[in-house]
Amino acid sequence: MTSNGTRARYDAIVIGGGHNGLVCAAYLARAGKKVLVCEKRHLVGGAAVTEEIHKGFKFSEFSYVVSLLRPEIIRELDLPRHGLHILPLESTVTPMPNGNYLAAWGDHDESQRELYRHSPLDAERYDEFGLLMHHMAHAVKPILAMLPPDPTSLSPRELLALARFGGHLRSLGEERFYALHKLMTMSSADYLDEWFETDVLKATKSASGIIGTFLGPRSPGSAYVLLHHYMGEIDGAFRAWGFQKGGTGGVSEAIAGAARAFGAEIQLDAPVTNVIVKNGRAVGVAVGAGDEHYADIVVSGLDPKRTFLGLLDERELPGDFLTSIRRFKARGSSGKVNLALSELPRFTCMQPENIARWGGVPIPAARYLRGAVSVSPTLAYVERAYDDAKHGSFSRQPYMDVVIPSMIDPSMAPPGQHVMSIFCQYAPFNITGGWDDAKREAFGDAVINALAVFAPNIKQAIIARQVLTPADIERITGLTEGNIFQGELALDQLFFLRPAAGWAKYRSPIDRLYQCGSGTHPGGGIMGASGRLAALTMLRDWPT
Amino acid sequence: MTRQAWDVIVIGGGLAGLTSAALLGKRGLHVVLLEARQELGGLTSTAELAPGVSCDVVDHEVGWVPSELLSELGLERSRAELAHIAPSVTTLVPGAEPLTISPDMQRTREALARISSHDAAAWPAFAERVSRLSEFLKAMYVVPPPSLFASGAGNLMSMLGIGRKARSLGRAGIFDILRTLPMSIADVLDETFEHDAVKGLLASRAVTRIQQGPRSGATAFLFLHNHVGLPAGAVGTSVAPQGGVGRLVRALATVAKSHGVEIRTSARVVQIRVHQERVMGVVLESGEEIKAARVASSLDVRRTVYDLIEPEHIEPELSRAVGNVRMRSATAKVNFVIEGTLPVSDESRDATFVVAPTSSYLERGFDQAKHGAVSDEPFLEIRALGGDMVPPNERRGVSVLVQWAPYSLQSGTWESSARDALGDIVLRTIERVMPGFTTRVVQRQVLSPLDIEAQYGATGGSLTHGELALDQMLFMRPVPALSRYRFPNIEGLYLCGRGCHPGMPLPAAMLAVREITRRGKDSARDVAAARSAPNEATPVPA
Repeated sequence: MTSNGTRARYDAIVIGGGHNGLVCAAYLARAGKKVLVCEKRHLVGGAAVTEEIHKGFKFSEFSYVVSLLRPEIIRELDLPRHGLHILPLESTVTPMPNGNYLAAWGDHDESQRELYRHSPLDAERYDEFGLLMHHMAHAVKPILAMLPPDPTSLSPRELLALARFGGHLRSLGEERFYALHKLMTMSSADYLDEWFETDVLKATKSASGIIGTFLGPRSPGSAYVLLHHYMGEIDGAFRAWGFQKGGTGGVSEAIAGAARAFGAEIQLDAPVTNVIVKNGRAVGVAVGAGDEHYADIVVSGLDPKRTFLGLLDERELPGDFLTSIRRFKARGSSGKVNLALSELPRFTCMQPENIARWGGVPIPAARYLRGAVSVSPTLAYVERAYDDAKHGSFSRQPYMDVVIPSMIDPSMAPPGQHVMSIFCQYAPFNITGGWDDAKREAFGDAVINALAVFAPNIKQAIIARQVLTPADIERITGLTEGNIFQGELALDQLFFLRPAAGWAKYRSPIDRLYQCGSGTHPGGGIMGASGRLAALTMLRDWPT
Repeated sequence: MTRQAWDVIVIGGGLAGLTSAALLGKRGLHVVLLEARQELGGLTSTAELAPGVSCDVVDHEVGWVPSELLSELGLERSRAELAHIAPSVTTLVPGAEPLTISPDMQRTREALARISSHDAAAWPAFAERVSRLSEFLKAMYVVPPPSLFASGAGNLMSMLGIGRKARSLGRAGIFDILRTLPMSIADVLDETFEHDAVKGLLASRAVTRIQQGPRSGATAFLFLHNHVGLPAGAVGTSVAPQGGVGRLVRALATVAKSHGVEIRTSARVVQIRVHQERVMGVVLESGEEIKAARVASSLDVRRTVYDLIEPEHIEPELSRAVGNVRMRSATAKVNFVIEGTLPVSDESRDATFVVAPTSSYLERGFDQAKHGAVSDEPFLEIRALGGDMVPPNERRGVSVLVQWAPYSLQSGTWESSARDALGDIVLRTIERVMPGFTTRVVQRQVLSPLDIEAQYGATGGSLTHGELALDQMLFMRPVPALSRYRFPNIEGLYLCGRGCHPGMPLPAAMLAVREITRRGKDSARDVAAARSAPNEATPVPA
């Protein structure tokens, strides 16, 4: 095999230093491989980074909460030793149009008491629902750590995998299997309608079913995304979300630290321009200004479109595979607004006199502002936000998930001041006429105005704001169309269909070129499962 | 009364009820069919709108008519008339030439070529793909829904049959079906075609009769579902008897009677009597009791379970599942009597016309309904009844399915002014694509989903007895516990309507009858066999 005399040869090269690329690198290095990670930016993390955009204010620029990170990865890579430190996010408050609010807490009983205020019936259902979702998430979790079987193969190994998969489904029992089927196929609104009557509860819960997708709460398929977001786990506590101390970038730094400790080399400012292919086999990568690195195996953490349509000569790839990759849907639908604030927002509904008016339990600002505020006042509000996007514009009144990381980790902002992260939907990548500066600012204004309805002081509290449209997310992180999951979590793009039928096992049509991004099974969120499964597959396949 | 005790009572005289009764009668069982209305037909009724002018009052399609069913009932020779494939579907786009798709591949390609050479080139492969994938659905529609949990040889055979069919699709085919079923029809069409009119026409065939728009997940599945039973190339067309759906109703009734089935109209069942977990018979509105050891209901599952069975016989889980079935329709019906023919240049008066100029037109129409309003630019499916069978200068009925007009309106109710407003919207929409239509109208009839519910008994006005969606199909239809057509805890009670797998009346009835007559302890088939034996073992007449 060819080797560049002036440079060290590697066992493996990982393209992209996002969290999955880093996880993959760490596992390979841990197995004794000599690994190089090439990251195009000046810092690792991809969409999981912390940056000081305004002096003194640290933003978790893109991804802002953590929970899906697989516990086996935390354990096996010993991430806490490298700085992983998740601080729990304790509550979600949803302001309502009539001035009332709905609060949900980490403590199940407390949430139930609050819900009782809205609907005794729903409060009773809440137990049963929570239990079922818990079981559902447990039913799906083994699938997340499973190599997708090939349903078309007759090889004994695949048939066995398929039988095991069938056995797993059977083991759920009839009732739970049907519930799972419903979750896989229904809309989150319809699914929640079967359980609850309180609109604001359904609106807030259904919002987790639309994150990162180009679906509305009434679109079939959104219930699965709802479940996907139920699978988080922190220190064994299911369905818990949290912040990384110092911002999301700290998660990436921790994984990078682990990878380095195992001997991996990470090059920053090293954008890979193409994969070097010789006789149908990947042998290395070309980087930036003409450098080349060679290795036995190349693995890409970039999204499938960027990897196969951007880094390779299309003639190297079979036609049907190319068609699949072109058809892979990665429609960006979300934007991000990061704010530097001179003071905390005052949500009208959470003022003591208002809480008293609605018969709620007094909640100090210092408490609820440590959690999330969900701007999802009604199901129709969220659905209308989608309607706008569906027809080519950003939502005039977007759904928003608002958090204030500096409430939990004061080091994120100067004393007395704060950073606010607003995740918003929908902001379609394919906005009519394309994104430009004016549209970006108009979108930012729409977000602030929609928030000001519930927290009127927000406008004067803003010191600086950063508005990120899907086009910006694509430009900065490289994610195609700014899709935060590297490809939508739709039923036709999951499991053995992710990212392409027949290519769901992290391999690719190019010999020794692998994929490890969240565009592969199970995909999405700071989960790391793709990176780990890819590394394990590569180690099993390792050329001798 | 000719007889006091029956082997089977069939409730409902629509297509599914009649098919079930005819098949059961043919197998030697003594069957009585009870229809609440004065006329047979239910959702597929052809009635006189004006003297001498008839129209398909509610639905004007009948879904898949399996040929083995026609053979079994001795109707094979009438196949061409009873299961007539609409010769074409024409989309009318304001200000543009109409586009017609027909089973004639060459003609369709020429029609497409006039607006897009790309789409004309894409057509044959697409038609072939649709045909192949819907053949797979068809294989699933001739067997009871397979279950991961059911035991027994029947279930195993279902699974093996479907598995074999899947294998025959090949590796690429299996992946294609797995990938396509959950997709939205909009995504599928965007991958294949470029012209808006083509996409609008085809998308309309996926969203017809459901409360979803073309961008909703799994509408690709419904597109294939609606293609089951159609020949290759007939993409977008449909099955309907010539001269109106009533013709099939009459044919089935005649066959049923010839097999000794007694058909009673104006016989509304108000209760299914259950004693010690066994069906005893039914009670009519008049107070009359009719006894039988088996009852098959072709009504929808909610009407059957909630209205006809005493609550103490239904477990709470089943009751809850039945309550959760989505049955609220957003399909209304407007029927016209017009003077002469439809004002269209197309010589084929027998065509189905759709107003679905683009996929986003449909999506916007659906958006309004989703928020509880009637689409002000609705999707219409228009059929002139009789086609060439009515002389050109005579009056004829025109049947128009209207989407979307939601069952529950956000503001107001379905009072007469709302119905009139809907009629006006429809008239305006037709006039835009068929100038001159309005002046030919001599009479109109508007049926809201609420009217369809009140007059034809379909809960929520649902023309499909429960929304067709991935979570309400196969082993989920109508609810998992009843997906094998029988009530697990009430001996002798069955469902046999379109609310069951596969969601179309004739195939559902066929599968239900197979279940009702399944060999086994005390099965209906054994009862029939025993009766013909010298030792009379029929249930004793009261």
